[in-house]
Amino acid sequence: MSRVSSLPVTRRTLLKAGSVSALGIGTLSACGSGGAGGTTDLSFHQSKPEVIGYFDELIKKFNAAHPKLDVTHDATTSLVAGFVREQPPDLALENYLLDVGNFVTRGALSDLSDLPEAKMIDPLVRDEVRQYASYRDETSVLPYSVTAAGVVYNKSLFEKHQQQVPTTWDELIGVCKVFQEAGVTPIYATYVDTWTTSQGLFDYVGGSMVDVAAFYDQLRQEGGDVGPDSPVSFSKDFAPAVDRMLELTKYFNENANSRDYGDGNVAFAKGEAAMYLQGPWAIGEISKLDPKMQLGTFPLGATDDPADAKARINFDLALWIPRGSSTRRQAVELLTFLMQPDVINKYNQDNLGFSPLKNAPKVTDPRIEGLQPAFDAGRIYQGAGTYVPPTIPLPNYLQELVITKNAELFLSRMDKDWARLAARTSA
Amino acid sequence: MTVQTSGVTATEAGLPKERAVTATGHSALPKGQRLDRVYLWMLLPGVVLFTLFITLPALMGIFFSFTNYAGFGSWKFVGLTNYTAMFDDPRILDSYGFTLQFAFVTTILANAVAFALALGLHNKIKFKAPLRTVFFIPMVISGIVIAYVFNFLFSTSIPAIATSLGITSLQESILANPSWAWVAIVLVSTWQSVPGAMIIYLAGLLAISPEVYEAASIDGASAWRKFTKVTFPLMIGYVIINTILSFKNYLNVYDIIVGLTNGGPGTETFSVAMTIFTGFTSGDYAYQMANAVVFFIVTVVFSLAQLRLLSGRQVSL
Repeated sequence: MSRVSSLPVTRRTLLKAGSVSALGIGTLSACGSGGAGGTTDLSFHQSKPEVIGYFDELIKKFNAAHPKLDVTHDATTSLVAGFVREQPPDLALENYLLDVGNFVTRGALSDLSDLPEAKMIDPLVRDEVRQYASYRDETSVLPYSVTAAGVVYNKSLFEKHQQQVPTTWDELIGVCKVFQEAGVTPIYATYVDTWTTSQGLFDYVGGSMVDVAAFYDQLRQEGGDVGPDSPVSFSKDFAPAVDRMLELTKYFNENANSRDYGDGNVAFAKGEAAMYLQGPWAIGEISKLDPKMQLGTFPLGATDDPADAKARINFDLALWIPRGSSTRRQAVELLTFLMQPDVINKYNQDNLGFSPLKNAPKVTDPRIEGLQPAFDAGRIYQGAGTYVPPTIPLPNYLQELVITKNAELFLSRMDKDWARLAARTSA
Repeated sequence: MTVQTSGVTATEAGLPKERAVTATGHSALPKGQRLDRVYLWMLLPGVVLFTLFITLPALMGIFFSFTNYAGFGSWKFVGLTNYTAMFDDPRILDSYGFTLQFAFVTTILANAVAFALALGLHNKIKFKAPLRTVFFIPMVISGIVIAYVFNFLFSTSIPAIATSLGITSLQESILANPSWAWVAIVLVSTWQSVPGAMIIYLAGLLAISPEVYEAASIDGASAWRKFTKVTFPLMIGYVIINTILSFKNYLNVYDIIVGLTNGGPGTETFSVAMTIFTGFTSGDYAYQMANAVVFFIVTVVFSLAQLRLLSGRQVSL
């Protein structure tokens, strides 16, 4: 359930937030550095559940090679709480989303642009990182693992019904119709876990039809004036995409209303559907359920132009060091170790990720290699849903949209909520 | 924070006036004699802990509700912006509407069921002890567990049974229905909270002297007349206590909803407590603190109104 760690609101983040609220009283204490006997204690924060063991091993190797440093792997502490207590980790390797963007915008992370590692990053990927947040002209985070997502499909079912991977909207609908007529659920959807609709249906169709980054750039400039009459708005720019989203829901399983993410993985592993709007995190789960299953991924195209079939990417892991840290020099040592091409590339190969380095080896796993061409050509975007501050409950609005099919209500709500939030936060 | 603070306010203010007066009358010390220090020392840990962990954080929350603080980093004062924006935010207003509606309906339903069960279990029936145990079980299971079990029942079991029986109206999960999801939450909350109320009612029924019923029987009163003229009037104090306690608990509804619908479908079942909580995860701390302050005031107003009902009757919290 890799995906869960990157959700705006999950049970886990709620619990984390609980510990923040219990904090109330701001405790100020010295940073936990400077151990006895000349060794320096360093805390390394990494909490993606599936790879905790993987990094435990790496840290062991690092500690053995660096007798003067003692790195502890912290997988549980709440990051926000750490900043509130003024005790953030010395080095973090965490999912990079809008909420970490908050640390960037408020200048809580240090500038890494002087490091040689910063120059190793593929410029295309580097530009994507800056879209959520930036502080002055600094390089606040270094991407470590890029996850690319598209439509996961059941290769055996595609072969059995003699279907090709679709590249345009009409082809996609054509494939859906063939499966529907053959009595196979074309696409499996799970409305109960609202993030799945946001991540899949909304991000994929939106990412193919709308220039997501430019749209939100403009939207931010409009601030509180967003509405049906402003130059860009959800009502105007997302209306065609929302129509197509609703059209696609006709090919979803009938009980999508009451299915959750776990149900979806099980159903897909049983071969109950041909396609699944999910990322590599789900592929891992499905392969666990049926290791022999033949899976592939293709980028969803929602227009007539195959060039609009793009891959949704997100920064599953990114490195950062808090500003003003007294252990920055030692943290950089660990960062350098982790950023060695054979370490970072191997991690990504082992964990269905794309390496952000220039000239990184191509992905070879057949389950995700269908996205490599889109990745190489820069046909990538960050999900439209991930730009929306979690204060606006977009995933919930989407759940209502797919159940009630009321596009107008959804779009006007998004505009109003965006304008209201912008007006409130700019004051 | 609001939860505990309001609870305490209710209990502190809970002494009816007459009682408070007699109490001080009894313990009033002769002039010049000082209160035993021991009592003060006994109070001290409670006061210190309460101040440190409840009062101070609450005051800090109120303070930050006038800022744009995100929980960390820099902040500045924004005056009443958070409060004015709140009353213009349909999400927050809807959550108040939902929570109040939920609290009213569940209070009435849960107390009616609990009262009926208490009456039944108080009478001479077979298997009294095992039945009492069965009805008591929901109280010892944690809310989130109950919610997840019912979630499975509603989304998987009931639709499966309905499909095999051919009942089309029940084939879709009630939790996915925007107009009916709240009913499922009411039912599960009722199921969970009935035992607590039932115990108080049972205790009340035990306190009624059997002679009263004997006298009523001699006068030839029917079972219904005994209930309306004897049992209910003697139980009214317990009814009021239960109503106040459960209403206050339902206003803070959180775990049951998280486990059942997580606020969905759409935002139909977002309770106020859940909305406040989103502030911590989404960097909207100050705004939701303003919401928490308003919610605190709302809770206090309701508690005080209910306490007015209570005063003059021979009961206290």
